[in-house]
Amino acid sequence: QFDHFVTLQQVSRRQISSTVRRQLVNKVPDKQKLFQEANGMPVHLKGGVSDAVLYRATMGLTVLGTAYVIYELVKAALPQKKG
Amino acid sequence: MAHQAHAYHMVDPSPWPLTGAIAALLMTSGLAVWFHFHSTTLMTLGLILLLLTMHQWWRDIIREGTFQGHHTPPVQKGLRYGMILFITSEVFFFLGFFWAFYHSSLAPTPELGGCWPPTGITPLDPFEVPLLNTAVLLASGVTVTWTHHSIMEGERKQAIQSLTLTILLGLYFTALQAMEYYEAPFTIADGVYGSTFFVATGFHGLHVIIGSTFLAVCLLRQIQYHFTSEHHFGFEAAAWYWHFVDVVWLFLYVSIYWWGS
Repeated sequence: QFDHFVTLQQVSRRQISSTVRRQLVNKVPDKQKLFQEANGMPVHLKGGVSDAVLYRATMGLTVLGTAYVIYELVKAALPQKKG
Repeated sequence: MAHQAHAYHMVDPSPWPLTGAIAALLMTSGLAVWFHFHSTTLMTLGLILLLLTMHQWWRDIIREGTFQGHHTPPVQKGLRYGMILFITSEVFFFLGFFWAFYHSSLAPTPELGGCWPPTGITPLDPFEVPLLNTAVLLASGVTVTWTHHSIMEGERKQAIQSLTLTILLGLYFTALQAMEYYEAPFTIADGVYGSTFFVATGFHGLHVIIGSTFLAVCLLRQIQYHFTSEHHFGFEAAAWYWHFVDVVWLFLYVSIYWWGS
């Protein structure tokens, strides 16, 4: 009788874990822990390395873009004399 | 450890307002450079910067609300006011284009043949694809309301299904409208009829795409357990925006498609 009981437990465990794999597991508590950590990081960098990479790329484009637009506007404002 | 003695949200310093402003500068200057010097580089750079800004800024808001708990009731009230004011500004934006349409169509000039639709214009039959589009958007208004009730009642699977259906209906509208644009017997260059038709319906179509995207983000968040039955303002904002898009279409359909034919 005890053997049957143990087998039933194993079957239930198998069924439960396959259900968890099919659905998405709720990761919000983990995210809450990560973003509430008292590490002084601002929210736009608090997610980790990928935040910093994306930030640097964005700021890089911002600086480059600002320089490029000033160049284009100055070029457009100064007429090129022919001959 | 210092804790605030109020329920409001003092945000961390953020670079996104600056990058967003530069994106706007690059897009507008880029437009001028494209018109005069035939180069799209600056404008494209601005667009990329805009997309990066939107992604990171809104990602941060989700972090602040869902993961850090900063969206207390008074903060949420402010967010509600903000969304309502934004939608109101969009209403005025569309009002301008309706003004232009009625200005030209109520008193058609001799150059148009003194009639509306103008001489030579074959308008689209309002009882064909445009009517189907009306049904599609009205149905999507029902499905998004179904989603809201599902979220409030904790019905996770139904919320996901009805929200997916809403987005599919939005995409179906866009596909139908794109086909209509391709098949239309008139173009944007066909006088004031073409201008008012394509600018008004074109901006509407853009708003359908924006609304569908907003709903899609909400779908991803619903799947990832971000929304609770009591607190799901991101979804409510998306639903408000979607209803606004639906109402604009109804005005477009009655004015331009139906009365205007």
